[in-house]
Amino acid sequence: MTEKYRHLYVVIEHEDGKPVPVSLEMLGEARRLMDGFNRKYRSDEKVVAVVLGHNTRKLCEELIFFGADAVIYSDSKEFEHARNLVDTKVISEIAKDRELASKFSEATDFVKPRYMFFAADNIGRQLSSTVLAELESGLASDINKLVIEDLEIKHEHKTKGQGLMYEKTLEMYRPDFSGFLWTTILCLDNRNPAIAREYHPQACSIIPGVFAPIERDTSRRGIVVDHQPSFSERDLKVRVIGRKIVKSAVDFDSHKAIVSFGRGVKESPEENVRLVAQLAEQLEGEVGVSLPISKKPFAVSEATNSKYMIPDRVVGTSGRKVAPLLYVAVGISGAMQHIVGMKESSFVVAINPDENAPIKDECDIFIKGRMEDVIPVLLEELQKQKPAIRAK
Amino acid sequence: MEIKGYLMPGNTLNAAVIVKLEPDFSEGNVSYNADGTLNRAETKSILGPHSAVASSAAFYAKVRYGARIAVTTMGPPIADVALQQAQVLCDADELHLYSDRMFAGADTLATAEVLRNGIAKVEGGQLDLVFSGHRASDGETGQTGPQTAWKLGFTFLGNVIDYDIDVPNRMVRAKRLISLQGFYDVIEEVEAPLPVFIAIDPSYKASFNTVSQRLAFEKYQKEGKVRAQDYKRYLKVFNAQQLGADPKLVGLPGSPTIVYKVERIPKAKASRKAEVIDGSSREELRKAAAKMYEILGGMVIK
Repeated sequence: MTEKYRHLYVVIEHEDGKPVPVSLEMLGEARRLMDGFNRKYRSDEKVVAVVLGHNTRKLCEELIFFGADAVIYSDSKEFEHARNLVDTKVISEIAKDRELASKFSEATDFVKPRYMFFAADNIGRQLSSTVLAELESGLASDINKLVIEDLEIKHEHKTKGQGLMYEKTLEMYRPDFSGFLWTTILCLDNRNPAIAREYHPQACSIIPGVFAPIERDTSRRGIVVDHQPSFSERDLKVRVIGRKIVKSAVDFDSHKAIVSFGRGVKESPEENVRLVAQLAEQLEGEVGVSLPISKKPFAVSEATNSKYMIPDRVVGTSGRKVAPLLYVAVGISGAMQHIVGMKESSFVVAINPDENAPIKDECDIFIKGRMEDVIPVLLEELQKQKPAIRAK
Repeated sequence: MEIKGYLMPGNTLNAAVIVKLEPDFSEGNVSYNADGTLNRAETKSILGPHSAVASSAAFYAKVRYGARIAVTTMGPPIADVALQQAQVLCDADELHLYSDRMFAGADTLATAEVLRNGIAKVEGGQLDLVFSGHRASDGETGQTGPQTAWKLGFTFLGNVIDYDIDVPNRMVRAKRLISLQGFYDVIEEVEAPLPVFIAIDPSYKASFNTVSQRLAFEKYQKEGKVRAQDYKRYLKVFNAQQLGADPKLVGLPGSPTIVYKVERIPKAKASRKAEVIDGSSREELRKAAAKMYEILGGMVIK
């Protein structure tokens, strides 16, 4: 007899058949986890990529090179663009489909996947929520570390206070909003007889840019399993009537420099933000912020609030990942959630009075001092030197 | 002068807003522990900022289409403050608080179960629109909205930056802002029949373009302020039994997930070796400036 819950299903996102980076990152981590799993438990559970698309079979083959053992591919014109309603329905069906699972494994007792991954982005966050509401199981969001363990759990509700062993449990690590705390979330069956209930898959959404894809290996072999979707009228209620590619008002990608500020501006936020903006202008860069700033924590002018204290400028796991030539972190302590967003920068300068701030370990030059004192002098020096460069 | 939406009798629109009481992250109100974590005991609670945006989005439906609005929340008795603050923003006709010890400790699925039970009772189940914020400022999962929508059987539209309703045809037309990692941002325009559940994007701003809209705006805004002063008149509190919630599906028993442990994120191994320079030295800053230009332009000026 095999187990009811098997395999790790990874829901792939792509744009016209090109995978978004986090899709390959999820596959990479899935590969590493399941290799360890199969060794440890002498098992043969699979990494299964789930693709909804139209004329995207080539992508499925690519996913095998990037770590999938099997790809469940559902092809329809209806999947041209992601739509929560129909995508949720089809992915939930796929997750419960024993017939599909039998194409790549012994599946007599298969009920649902053991684990499931989604991307923690605009599409995946919502899709994971609705799929897990449909599958009636647990979901942890914005995960950046994963471990599979056998855990002894003693819990008032889950085990009625008894110590019980939960095998093959996925530990899902999630940084909290401050970026300083790590919460480990588990999705566990209720084994307390009074409320007995099985909760599978154990699912999470994964922060883009955290895990590394495996190296593309064209010698890897796998199987592409076709799924024939069927739709009711209700599934197709949402019509996409227009789609326009826009440039974000905040343009990190086409600037060589980014100057970001954090809560360190608090002593005189209005003036300090102006200094930061001047520094960015001098370096022909864009202005970024740390997450707490987007919650508009300061009493500043409406103009400053609406121009700078906005989610669009957030660099970090809750915002954008950037990789400029020069990143200047002003009054940013360096919470993990921010670091993930800027660590790929070529060169990092931090301006901070506190030498113990974690940002010190993430920068190339640490200017120790208050921004109020440092930036004006730095601006003068930059201005003095600029003409010399231009003339050359 | 009497101002109304263009609704015909019998052609009404009923909306609900889901809000949350959250820590107030504004400077002066928020308190952090020495280790950088939130000091919850010392931090005040207010209507969350995303909940406020959701309330404004519902207010738009009131001004444009004369929608009736119920604001709802799950929380302890003190969460009625969030309802009151939301009423100021959207001139709510009803405030619903779902409060029971049984709900405590719920994860997003168990929270969605309570909200589903509650919202199904608003306006006798004749709801056309539900609004929620993008995510809570403290939990930051963004899961409760879509999960509630799914349980309600409402079409879920997330990241909505703009919407309008064709009331006679009962259709919503919405613009959604989607950021595709590694590609670009997309503004997608969609159409869906009511009822829909809208999770509103933080960048949403209602605009009122005609004189009659602006007059309606002022009228309802005034009314909202007056109502909120006496908000308890509009408040209904429901416990688990009154909601008809299944005890096995709410609170801790109804939560698939648990928090297993909380720890400080260990300091990562230094990924760079910083040169520390003295910010009070002009000479040092001169060198730093030169280095910055060098990085940017690949130019070295000696």
